[in-house]
Amino acid sequence: MGTKRVVAVAGLSVVLMAGPRLMAHHAFGGEFDPNKPVLLKGKVTKVEWVNPHAWIHLAHVKPDGTTEEWMVEGGTPNTLFRRGFTKDSLKPGMEIVVDGYQARDHTLLRANGRNVTFPDGRKLFLGSSGTGAPLDGADPIEKKK
Amino acid sequence: MRGRILTAAWTLAVVLALAALLTAPTAGQAPARAAGTAKGSALPRMPDGHPDLQGVYDIAWLTPLERPANTPLVLSDDEATKLEGTANERRVRGDAPIRGDRAAPPVGGDGSTGAAGGVGGYNTFWIDPGTRYVRIEGHKRSSLIIDPPDGRIPALTPSAQARTAKVQRPTSDEGERTDPGLETAPGAYDNPERRPLGERCLMGFGSTSGPPALPVLYNNLHQIVQTPQQILIFNEMVHDARIVRMNSEHLPKEVRRWMGDSIGRWEGDTLVVDTTNFTDKTRFRGSTENLHVVERFTRIDANTLLYRFTVEDPETWVRPWTAEYPWPATKTAVYEYACHEANYALENILRGARQRDAEQAKRNKQ
Repeated sequence: MGTKRVVAVAGLSVVLMAGPRLMAHHAFGGEFDPNKPVLLKGKVTKVEWVNPHAWIHLAHVKPDGTTEEWMVEGGTPNTLFRRGFTKDSLKPGMEIVVDGYQARDHTLLRANGRNVTFPDGRKLFLGSSGTGAPLDGADPIEKKK
Repeated sequence: MRGRILTAAWTLAVVLALAALLTAPTAGQAPARAAGTAKGSALPRMPDGHPDLQGVYDIAWLTPLERPANTPLVLSDDEATKLEGTANERRVRGDAPIRGDRAAPPVGGDGSTGAAGGVGGYNTFWIDPGTRYVRIEGHKRSSLIIDPPDGRIPALTPSAQARTAKVQRPTSDEGERTDPGLETAPGAYDNPERRPLGERCLMGFGSTSGPPALPVLYNNLHQIVQTPQQILIFNEMVHDARIVRMNSEHLPKEVRRWMGDSIGRWEGDTLVVDTTNFTDKTRFRGSTENLHVVERFTRIDANTLLYRFTVEDPETWVRPWTAEYPWPATKTAVYEYACHEANYALENILRGARQRDAEQAKRNKQ
């Protein structure tokens, strides 16, 4: 059990801790433009609960007060549904904040939902008390009943 | 900031490594070979006497396919617990609130690698990569591969290296390098038919359906339905369904299928599924249509199957290789995955390619 072993095990820890590589149904880099970061704020107008990716539509309020209809890409609804999150967990009219990157075709107002939160920064499907999501203790700021 | 994270990661790794050395007398010992036959007579059986393999199984595991160099197959319980804890902490961190008044991400990309391609993906609450490392006969595993003994996929043959170099983007990220969706072959983005099957919603990505079946980032449910003549292996992801013909011959070589042609037989209480007749569309880790997969399904207790597979392709790897992991039963339902119903991603990718074409044409004129 010499130095070699210590190095080997340390290396193992680093590699195994790197966690699951993000592989998905498509390459994000081919779809979204790294040179077009966006920050979107506004009310949800529609949610497409579809596979392979859910799409959240929102009316982004621009600095001049006008709005633009954007679409934001999320993951498969199946995982959320399995955890008890349903259509009632995110409804039109709710305020959200999204950061991500715009589609490479800049004529499309579409972006990936790199982070999708409520205005106070809570993650959408984890800090969603009072929106229909189950009170199962998964939400750290959930009000105890 | 990045440097600080890396330093912290290394410090943690060294602490974990030292803890493992102090508490892991069994690490490094070869595990006993997993059972080849089911134990006990109380296991569920079909009317024909063969083991009943039916059920819904969740194969989300943290154990990676390949092992880092010069490391043992068996993790000490202590090390496995810490690694699982680290994965859990990562998930909790990913789910934690962030600043609501944050700015947009940086111009030029956020530094994420692999399929995330510098733009990141989306929040972790969408994914389900599992929470545990594989445990077989009481031993936690650091890789799914058990042969070669180093837990690594064997070297590519020279012809395979030449083949893959032609179509793949030069990158240090293995996931990216082996992803057919990132190929740079001429015309790769010219039309939907040139895009990979996963992107087109025709098959799952990452060999989730197999053969061989591998754990992926989400939708890891598999269902087995069994009759004496045919066995169905159904995958939630893109609802890929494999039908195994029992005690049959392979189809003529001219008949090729994305998931190959699977025939099955019983060896004692183990179902052995032999698959050939692949196409060149799926390219499992750079393989050719001559890929040959042998899978072995053994019920090891009332709630668990042991899944072991051996793959060979003399035109791809210098030797065959074998991996194994359990399929634990779950009471969770398999949901519909109508992948194609709103595949905006494919449209966006093709539109993005046209945008890049236009920009290139403009540069050529200058």
